[in-house]
Amino acid sequence: MTNPATDDRRYWEDLRLGEVIELGRTTLTREMITSFAREFDPFPFHLDESAAKASLLGGLAASGWQTGALCLRLLADSFLVTTASAGIVRVRNLKWKNPVMVGDDIGGTATITELSRSEHHPQFGVLALDFDVSNQRRLPVLLMRLSVLVAERPVGALA
Amino acid sequence: MTRWFEDIVLDEVFSLGSHNFEADDMVRFAALYDPQSLHTDREAAQHSQFGGLVASGWHIASVAHRKMVDALFAEEERLRTLGHEPGLSGPSPGVNSMDFPAPVRPGDVVSFRLVVTNKRHSNTIPGWGLLFNRLTGTNEQGQLVYEANLVGFSKLRDYRMPWWQKLLQALTRVPIIGPLLARRA
Repeated sequence: MTNPATDDRRYWEDLRLGEVIELGRTTLTREMITSFAREFDPFPFHLDESAAKASLLGGLAASGWQTGALCLRLLADSFLVTTASAGIVRVRNLKWKNPVMVGDDIGGTATITELSRSEHHPQFGVLALDFDVSNQRRLPVLLMRLSVLVAERPVGALA
Repeated sequence: MTRWFEDIVLDEVFSLGSHNFEADDMVRFAALYDPQSLHTDREAAQHSQFGGLVASGWHIASVAHRKMVDALFAEEERLRTLGHEPGLSGPSPGVNSMDFPAPVRPGDVVSFRLVVTNKRHSNTIPGWGLLFNRLTGTNEQGQLVYEANLVGFSKLRDYRMPWWQKLLQALTRVPIIGPLLARRA
């Protein structure tokens, strides 16, 4: 049986080690930063300009968790939308290298560094992607290895 | 937690409370940050390997972080009421690992816990220590749904900066020499 949600997409067998995905870019607005922070990371330096100026970050900065979430969004739009993917399995060595401030524009690449069979999900493979994301001044902002589940090509589906 | 580095006890378990994952919140988060049908579309999610809507892993991690922040604020408040000066925690440099061993479905109530598994003085930032925290989330059936090993900064209470480090810091503010020193550091 084929899965209607994943038809016409790339399956695990279609992916290649070393493939580099161009993630595109996204710009952080003040509203984006404060609305995420109110819900998930309500430290004053993510919410209030004057508190942020006095902090180690030196200005209103996005929560690192939001930076990561936006990297995921960039991956979804540039790659997952055309892949038979099925959610995050794990994240390794996530590093926040520099704060992301209001008006910063972030983007970069994700490189396929591992392809393995899933231990827990039959008919799925695991794909590891190394993220290298920087800001408009080419300063690194986020590195991580993110693993996602990808369905294997269903039996009978055309290659 | 918001304690001085010296006061942090290894292997002490902090209950961070629980969170009820509601379908609307799961879909709202995923629509913004992880738009895959198993997180955003109840109908299409029926065909996924989980047979229904599940929370984005990044949503679980973000909620877990919020529970930790709330606990930090509560601990700060508690120390102040006792007449103690709370410690200071700094921005996190990163996360060693995050795992999502079981799905979180609408209506699941997940309880979060934090344990400091190790600590050491920072090699790069004088006066601060590094904390290695394990943050876990468990559903009502006792299944582990989230496990993260996070790194955090905590300030040392009894730290006195050596004279040569004070001098070095003052020199970094001098034009020409300053930027050169900063580059070396």
